[in-house]
Amino acid sequence: MNPSLAPRDAWTPLPATEWNAAAARHLLRRTGWSARPADVDRAVTEGFAATLARLFPEVVPAWSKPRLVSRYESIAPEMQRNAAKGPTEDRLRAQRELQDRARVGLQELSLRWLEYAARPDTAAIAKWVLFLSDVYVISAEKVRNPAVVHRHFEILTEHGFGPAPALAKAVSRSPAMVIYLDLAQSQLKAPNENFARELFELFVLGEGNYTEADIKEAARAFTGYRVRPEGGFRFDDRQHDKSVKTVFGASGPFSGDDVVDLAFRQPAAAVYLPRELAKTYLCETPLPADHLAALGDGWRADDLDLRALQRRFFGSRLFFAPEYRGNLIKSPLQFLLGLVQDWSLDVAPLPRLTLTPLRQMGQIPFQPPNVRGWVGGRQWINSATLAARRQLAEMLFTPLDENSLNADELLDLVAARANGPVHFTVPDAAFARFRALAPGDAVAALAADLLPGPVAPAAVSQLSQYVAAGGADPAQRLRRLRRAAVTLTQSPACQLC
Amino acid sequence: MNSPHASGLPSTRRDFLGRSAKGIGLLAFSGFAPAFLVRSTLGAPAPETDRRILVVIQLAGGNDGLNTLVPFEDANYYRLRPTLALPKDKVLRVGDTHGLHPACTGLHRLLQDGKLAVVQNVGYPNPNRSHFRSTEIWETASASDDFAPTGWVGRFLDHACAGQPADSHDPLAIHLTGTGVPQSFMGEKPHAVFGLGGGLGNRRETDENRRLLEAMTGEAPADPSGNASFLSQTLMDTLVTEKKVQRVIADYRPANPYPASTFAASLRSIAALIAARLPTRVYYATLSGFDTHSGQGPAHANLLTQLSAGLAAFQKDLEALRLSDQVLTMTFSEFGRRPSENESRGTDHGTAAPLFVMGANVKAGLHGSAPKLDLQRNQDLTFSTDFRQVYATALTNWLQCPPTDVIPGKFVPLNFV
Repeated sequence: MNPSLAPRDAWTPLPATEWNAAAARHLLRRTGWSARPADVDRAVTEGFAATLARLFPEVVPAWSKPRLVSRYESIAPEMQRNAAKGPTEDRLRAQRELQDRARVGLQELSLRWLEYAARPDTAAIAKWVLFLSDVYVISAEKVRNPAVVHRHFEILTEHGFGPAPALAKAVSRSPAMVIYLDLAQSQLKAPNENFARELFELFVLGEGNYTEADIKEAARAFTGYRVRPEGGFRFDDRQHDKSVKTVFGASGPFSGDDVVDLAFRQPAAAVYLPRELAKTYLCETPLPADHLAALGDGWRADDLDLRALQRRFFGSRLFFAPEYRGNLIKSPLQFLLGLVQDWSLDVAPLPRLTLTPLRQMGQIPFQPPNVRGWVGGRQWINSATLAARRQLAEMLFTPLDENSLNADELLDLVAARANGPVHFTVPDAAFARFRALAPGDAVAALAADLLPGPVAPAAVSQLSQYVAAGGADPAQRLRRLRRAAVTLTQSPACQLC
Repeated sequence: MNSPHASGLPSTRRDFLGRSAKGIGLLAFSGFAPAFLVRSTLGAPAPETDRRILVVIQLAGGNDGLNTLVPFEDANYYRLRPTLALPKDKVLRVGDTHGLHPACTGLHRLLQDGKLAVVQNVGYPNPNRSHFRSTEIWETASASDDFAPTGWVGRFLDHACAGQPADSHDPLAIHLTGTGVPQSFMGEKPHAVFGLGGGLGNRRETDENRRLLEAMTGEAPADPSGNASFLSQTLMDTLVTEKKVQRVIADYRPANPYPASTFAASLRSIAALIAARLPTRVYYATLSGFDTHSGQGPAHANLLTQLSAGLAAFQKDLEALRLSDQVLTMTFSEFGRRPSENESRGTDHGTAAPLFVMGANVKAGLHGSAPKLDLQRNQDLTFSTDFRQVYATALTNWLQCPPTDVIPGKFVPLNFV
């Protein structure tokens, strides 16, 4: 699919005259998870620049550390010591307890992240950081420490809106990364190449833009990176190779940070992240090289600043071009969080109602399948994952059967309700607006809210007939409107955004 | 293709659409329905007639093992269970020391007829007592400190279906959980896995839903990326399969009646699908409610009645179909329960428990060793057979798949089949 705009026009700013409700819907769904009517109205009223500035504010709110994660962090060092000494039985017990707490902490971390991501004021930030985490990949499966996973996302949030080289340097010191890509095992005498390779191949440059010799030399520059028992970063000077390295033709006693700077000076660096950005936010097939080069030139001129890249990219004519509206397949997280936002739901603190559906749909938070991250696009869709999406829709539109919950789940539910009313499933009140409309108008309004594009008239009429067939009885009308909403949510069109 | 569709079922996606969606967007679709659809509608024989099928029954909530297989000669049992213990003269005897819960009459008969094996005291090291986590351990067949993203059935399919076209739409595994794809089914590669609403209780809603969704899916909007038509096609494939499967189930007339429980209805559906010669290798159904923290007596009896009567009807049906030698049925539960009863006449989360294996080919009777009950109050059972040995047995002796390809680590198979 070729872009409708030439490379030199593609990244010019969207003219103010083209900012309208449809454009606002597109921007909101792409930068966040949904486009609720009130949010669309507000965006149109405030204007494009103000909306973009609101989505990505100058001061980025932090994602606070969940309680169980702090708890894990505070007791982990002592438990690690216990796990390393004493009789075998005690050691094993301590190891098990450590693992168990890590697992519970990770579950808590996942649920709290979903809540944070679902909040309208932090949705775009959460999604941007999720995108960065799909470049600078780590996996909780290997790291097994919720505190450093949280710290990794904190680093991505802190540095994800500034210069890209600073982000890469911070990530190289992220304890999760030091563990995930084996820097912790890298020795002065035996440098481990894993991090250096992925830095070039998957984080900064892309394949074909470095040599094996560059990797070997760079690996020596990243020696001495360690993780403290309590989970912080530590630099072990004695394990660091201070001798001369030759990377990308330059020679010197380079540090890891020097290597990051050298990598970002390579021409490929200016187009690598933009290519990943377009794949995540624009279309799954890579943009033509000329278009990427044009975006990369602009980004280089902006000193590889990520906020500048955001403004240029999301503010461009190409981002709003018709061929890129409603063409992306939603990730499982987008599908779930979109529904949560569309219907003003609360994220259920019950793994079975949130994490299990995500796993069934193929995306477990903090656990990408490998260092490449999630492949995305059509890879999200097969008969099993589609069935899981349909199941999730049914579940969110069916009142929670509390009799089916086990004792642990009931406790979590009570805790969640302690702070006021919560809706884990769509309440009747959410249909008030639609119940007041004639069946055809109600279905059209539902479709306009839920789907990214226009709906074929035949489908609307089919659903309208179904709703109308229930007659005027209010209970019937409600039941049928619910069914119509479920069907729209399960339809192919609702898998796109 | 002029051959009459004897069953009145559509044989191709196009045919299907033509009948169901009033011609909307028909030409956007090409290709054929899942192979088994075409085969069965044309009356062609299935390629494999001797394929072996595994039916997995999940007892969700944690089944109380000690009151399922009762050690009626062990004084410790009566000490640990002052109100919940089942009297010696009520249990259904299996040998001199053990007997089944009085509700298990159907299972007891199967045992006497040589069709039921009971594997005793099955668990794993470092047991986890969280429903969520322990279910995950059983479904992924991993160690309790290991996190595997894939399930053991999924990995079996990875192995068994290596070399088969990835776009095959034949359902290789079908679940009737009502709660989505069980983690057991997750493979490295995507497989045609299929789910049916668990209870099949609200037929009307499911039918309505499918009918409406068909109408939505017939649409093929202008779509430069091709994603919309890709999604429509994938969904249409699953709807075609679903419709066929529902029809097979609705038309099924078993030779003998099933009991009137939701669980038995799930088994009846599985029998219908096996009878229809689907190429499905693994079926998975759930019976839930085993989390008996209070008032366990009547609740557990009721659950075991459902389990026992349902399994007995299912086995009898398979025999009537002359398919019983192709099917092995196996139960599992995420954990057993605490040997000491609690203050609410119930039991709390525990560790090991027995599981059942049913089929014409099983070596009937008790397998493994019974748990030791010389325990302090609230002490847990120590397992004697690892659940991965049970899986390894089903894989190697039944599904003819090297267990090492599916189960990490080395687990010695048993001989119950």
